Amino acid sequence: MIKITNLEKIYRTEEVETVALNKLSFEVKEGEFVAVMGPSGCGKSTLLNILGLLDDPDAGSFLFNGIEVAKFNERKRADLRKHNIGFVFQSFNLIDELTVFENVELPLIYTGVKTAERKRIVEEALDKMQIMHRRNHYPQQLSGGQQQRVAVARAVVNNPKLILADEPTGNLDSSNGNEVMQLLTDLNEQGTTIVMVTHSEHDARYSHRVIRMLDGQTVMENLMA
Amino acid sequence: MFRLYTKIAWRNLVRNKIYSVINVAGLALGITAFLLILEYVSFEKSYNNFHKNLRNIYRLINEDVKGVTWPQVEPGWAMKAKESLPEITSYCRFEEGTAKGIVRADGENTEPFRESDIGYAEGNFFEFFDFNLLKGQAAALKAPNTVFISQKTATKYFGNTDPIDKVMTLSNQFGEAKYSVKGIFNIPENSDIRYEMVFSLETLKNPANLNGNNWAALDNLGSQYINTYFQLSPNTDYKILEKKLTNLRNQLKQDKDGVVFRLQPFANVHLPASLSDTYQTTGNLKYVYILTTIAFLILLIAWFNYINLSTANSLKRANEVGVRKIVGATQGSLVMQFLGESILVNILGFSLALVLVTLIQPVFNQVMKKEITLATLTRTSDWIRGFALLVVGSLLSGIYTAYTLSNFNPVETLKNKLTKTTKGGYLRKTLVVSQFAISIALVLATILIYQQLQYMQNKNLGMNANQMLVIRGPEIGRDSTYKQRKSSFLNQVQSESFVQDFTASGTYPGGWYNFNTSGFTQPGSKSGDELKSYAFAIIDNRYLDAYQIKLKAGRNFTEAECAVEWNDNSKVMLNERAAAELGFMSAEEAVNKKIKWDERALEVVGVVKDYHHTSLQRAIDPMIFYPQNNSTYMAVRLGTQHMKQDIDRLETLYKLSFSGNPFEYFFMDENFNKQYATEQQYGQLFTAAAVWAIFIACLGLFGLTTFSVESRTKEIGIRKVLGASITDITRLLSGDFLKLVIIAAVIAFPLAWFGIQSWLQDFAYRVSIEWWVFIIAGAAAMLIAFATISIQAIKAAMSNPVKNLRTE
Repeated sequence: MIKITNLEKIYRTEEVETVALNKLSFEVKEGEFVAVMGPSGCGKSTLLNILGLLDDPDAGSFLFNGIEVAKFNERKRADLRKHNIGFVFQSFNLIDELTVFENVELPLIYTGVKTAERKRIVEEALDKMQIMHRRNHYPQQLSGGQQQRVAVARAVVNNPKLILADEPTGNLDSSNGNEVMQLLTDLNEQGTTIVMVTHSEHDARYSHRVIRMLDGQTVMENLMA
Repeated sequence: MFRLYTKIAWRNLVRNKIYSVINVAGLALGITAFLLILEYVSFEKSYNNFHKNLRNIYRLINEDVKGVTWPQVEPGWAMKAKESLPEITSYCRFEEGTAKGIVRADGENTEPFRESDIGYAEGNFFEFFDFNLLKGQAAALKAPNTVFISQKTATKYFGNTDPIDKVMTLSNQFGEAKYSVKGIFNIPENSDIRYEMVFSLETLKNPANLNGNNWAALDNLGSQYINTYFQLSPNTDYKILEKKLTNLRNQLKQDKDGVVFRLQPFANVHLPASLSDTYQTTGNLKYVYILTTIAFLILLIAWFNYINLSTANSLKRANEVGVRKIVGATQGSLVMQFLGESILVNILGFSLALVLVTLIQPVFNQVMKKEITLATLTRTSDWIRGFALLVVGSLLSGIYTAYTLSNFNPVETLKNKLTKTTKGGYLRKTLVVSQFAISIALVLATILIYQQLQYMQNKNLGMNANQMLVIRGPEIGRDSTYKQRKSSFLNQVQSESFVQDFTASGTYPGGWYNFNTSGFTQPGSKSGDELKSYAFAIIDNRYLDAYQIKLKAGRNFTEAECAVEWNDNSKVMLNERAAAELGFMSAEEAVNKKIKWDERALEVVGVVKDYHHTSLQRAIDPMIFYPQNNSTYMAVRLGTQHMKQDIDRLETLYKLSFSGNPFEYFFMDENFNKQYATEQQYGQLFTAAAVWAIFIACLGLFGLTTFSVESRTKEIGIRKVLGASITDITRLLSGDFLKLVIIAAVIAFPLAWFGIQSWLQDFAYRVSIEWWVFIIAGAAAMLIAFATISIQAIKAAMSNPVKNLRTE
């Protein structure tokens, strides 16, 4: 599903040049659950941004389902993103002004799904994430675990082929963290490919394979039992 | 999608209450000022538009060798022109001023009223123009001794009874005449031709009705007192016709006064087509332009506020933009969303503005001395342009914000990096500078207008108007006993202990002259000097003393000289300007010299020191004083005590001598200052505009300070932990903004100086612009800005640093 080859990303300021990704190459197959680990500043988030088509690589190739997307313009990237990729963030990134229902509904609006159909799909997703009873609440009225469940519901509501999760349990206690990891595992078992950046060895154990990074490069890959 | 956008827009407004209130209030105030001024401009531009033939009607005006124009022409030209120039399909004449007098409805116990808004008009007046005739046949005015009256006048004289065929008596300089009411009309407020009563001009055709005033004969080509309007055949080149009319004038006029005829399109009688058009108008285009500019500037300040606050506040919404982009929003859809929000804010601002306009309208109307409403807007197509401007401005300010927001990089927004950028900072600074530059310029203009007003009101006028009560002379009962009664009245007045001085004259300082005339020469005059115009004042021998006007050389008129009949008089006095204009090297040189007024020889008995007979907008005119016992105005200088009893006593005496005449008076100093009504109006308007502009700008500044404090919370906390005092923090937060106000002042100063200087050119006597005025305006702006900033800055400086450091 994902194949990156010699991917490079360099951040430049007036005085400093930071190499975030240094000729990075790896592949993620459809249905895989991959964890990316490494110390802070090793390039994990940059990698996730590029995989999520939120950022451009400076060099290298990025094939998504066999299509070269590294040079896609913003419009094409947005189009590809909204139909294929869901995101889960450490800080949830829910819109405070929207209710739970409306937050989850948002991706469907941008893909042009009709109102009645949206209602059905959102309710299904909220049901699946066991957050239906909070559908009319605002994010500030929810606990961290509940907010992340909403974020996962929003990530999966469009039925994406790929979910990118950036330290999804980073802001949660262990019990809520385990719940979220179980949700991701369930989604993966239903066929969704997952790439997850994490610092937690515990969370990494939920994945099939761990890619360890250092200074913008892959230093090791472990298959999990 | 739209529903969701609206919903989120509304929730955002509610969530960010301070920003929302400032934004909506700022826009509402800006739009309010804009709408009120647009109403006024629309009203001014709508003048005379209701006449169906407006485009084919022209006013005949005179233009002298100096380019001065005036619309009063000799009555005989209308007929002469119509006879010889086929382009003229019809004409209509009407006068204003000569008919003034006292009107009484016939019958028992009716009250006489002095009327000034009355005139004689051509028989076709109600056919030529499109006034609303409520009762009667338009053609009835063609008969002599008929009158048409306004609805208001009908009620005033006849109450609820039908006034048609009722008789009214008009007593004026043409004696007493009876008129039968034949119609009731209603003249709209946006009409330059305004009368309460229209008497048939046909009446004056009969020499018996002129009461010896042969100058008013309708076929004469000698006295300029009537307005003449022509209706031309369509497609007539009026510029060619002007030449033909001047040729006709040159052929038939005996005095070669150098005057040429001009035709002024009726459509330009109220407002000229452009500022370079020098023909006399009843409205003031410059004023309309100044007001339009103010309206636009205030609106600009409001929009700048909106852009400033929205872009500042947008950083708070960066996260939302990031999330939306990640879940599939395109830049286009985000632009639409934020534009929608901007439209919502503008709609709220506009709705609030409509409420404010309704509330402020009465005060505005009082200042503008007009009866206008929101409905006035629709009288001309200007409202379409005005509303288009509102829509385009709102869209542009919205689009800028929407574009800025939608352009955020989602990766950066989700990392909260944007709150630390200076994105839009320069734009915000530029807009704040512009807002304060406009405000400071308006403050400067306000100060200077009031300085000029005060200067005019306090300048030594060369005469004393204090405690001078001017009583209007009688009109009724001017029979053979009148002279004796007048003399008896004046003797009684003189004998009253409270009377310090008195005079009876044809004019008074602050009123206009009796007339302006040319034809004065002295033996040493050059050819062409006879074309110079002089102001003519008919006075008695007490005039100079009563008004405390000084003599420069020679002597005053004697009582005997004032008693001589008009045509037998051979004495005049000049003012210093007139002596100089006539070519005398000094006042003394003019004394005892003979001058000529056309063919009449007149001896200069004295030269009066120049004094201001008219307002200070106008340079002192060369004046000729003519001795007569004229009682158009009888002025009495009263003592300062028992004013009420003194006036009552004068009324008793007046009514004893002139029974049937209403006793009407005014105080001369108040009347003199009425000439500055326009400047007072300017002053009030500029004060309002300056306060309005500063208030909106400060609203914005308050919002920006709030934003600045919010985004620097952590910095403030760290500084406080490191020992910064409240003063240090306040200085830190206010310093940046105050620098902007200083830059604004530097920009505003030359612009305001230029504008004020050009406004002051309209005044013959004017204040000089002092440097300290700029300092005061700049300091005032700084102080107000500082006070605004301090509210938030001090609050932030006093907050708990531990709490501040927890915010991130």
